[in-house]
Amino acid sequence: MITTDGQCVAAFIFGTTVGVLVQRSRWCNTAALRDAMLFKSYRNTKALLVAMIILTIGFTTMMTFGNGNPMRFDVGINQFIGLFLFGIGMVFAGACTVSSWVKTGEGNIGALWALLFLIVGLFFSSLMWSFTFWPLAGQTMTGQPSAAGLQFGWADALTLQRDTGIPAVVFGLIQAAALFGLYRLILRRERATLEAERKAGASTSQSTTATQGAASKPAPSPVVPT
Amino acid sequence: MDFFKKSLDPIVALAIIAIFDIFLFQIVGAWTVGGGETMIAGLFVKSLIGAKAMNRIPFWHMVFKPTWAYWKIYISLGMGFGALVSAILSKEFYWRVPKHLSEWVMITIGGLLMGIGIRLSFVCNVSTFLGLTPEMNLGGYLAVSGLVVGSWVGTWVYKKILEA
Repeated sequence: MITTDGQCVAAFIFGTTVGVLVQRSRWCNTAALRDAMLFKSYRNTKALLVAMIILTIGFTTMMTFGNGNPMRFDVGINQFIGLFLFGIGMVFAGACTVSSWVKTGEGNIGALWALLFLIVGLFFSSLMWSFTFWPLAGQTMTGQPSAAGLQFGWADALTLQRDTGIPAVVFGLIQAAALFGLYRLILRRERATLEAERKAGASTSQSTTATQGAASKPAPSPVVPT
Repeated sequence: MDFFKKSLDPIVALAIIAIFDIFLFQIVGAWTVGGGETMIAGLFVKSLIGAKAMNRIPFWHMVFKPTWAYWKIYISLGMGFGALVSAILSKEFYWRVPKHLSEWVMITIGGLLMGIGIRLSFVCNVSTFLGLTPEMNLGGYLAVSGLVVGSWVGTWVYKKILEA
């Protein structure tokens, strides 16, 4: 069992590693979604999918044998609404939780400003919350499904394993395969775009050559009426 | 050091982070940022208004008692520290300040929405994509759906603003 100090040290080492790697790679979760939607650019999306594939296999393998520390909290419609607001916010701010820390480390005052207001938003919305209540419905955070509170209880790879008797890693492999399918779809789309650009470039250069060729021919003598 | 002279492929970076995250998952839990930021918010406000006033707020009394001994804080601080060291070593550290008022407004609204979203859902984007979903938690699928729809709406609004 690791001590509290040990947990904090491990977290700091992990965070520092993440800070260095994200700074060097310029990875950004906001860009992974925004750039895919706006520019059809998937550089960050592919990296996110690769991480999700590795983590799905890693976490579900560990969970199969009762290892790891999966998150346990009430699941409800508040996850959808909260992340919906978060999604709008991260596009507006141009940074997610990771890139706001990383950009702040690089000297970006805008990212620091986003962090400050994230803290302000966190604090003011915390005033609306108590342990058993969430703002849209009363007495919902009981760990049990509740239609009135739009809560669904708790379900993950462990509950799937418990309820079906099938090892969690089997479900993990199915999810990883689905994520890999999405990754391949992106690769195919990128290849198709490149191909289309190459063809467009080739036809443009052909027409340019033709135009240049026509221009290089001696101009026909003007027909002068005699 | 060559590492700080060239940029790194994000796929390689995220694959390395994912492998480290599996070890962190075994020691304490999966990578998350929202939890640490929540605690930082609590500690920050507690330093301003005092412990007595803070204890009157149910959330900070019953759910998140502000303490420096919360491991998730150190992930956030570590990310900032790591990025600072990396930016200095790669000579990429310099002050960048948004030039237009509209940028400040967008960042302020964006920051507030992110904070409200984290508190409402109890998760952030990192724990959504790289924590809950790999654990196959139902909350992860709900959060991913919300985040994708929210980003789409945000992108649409952002595009309209840019066009205007």
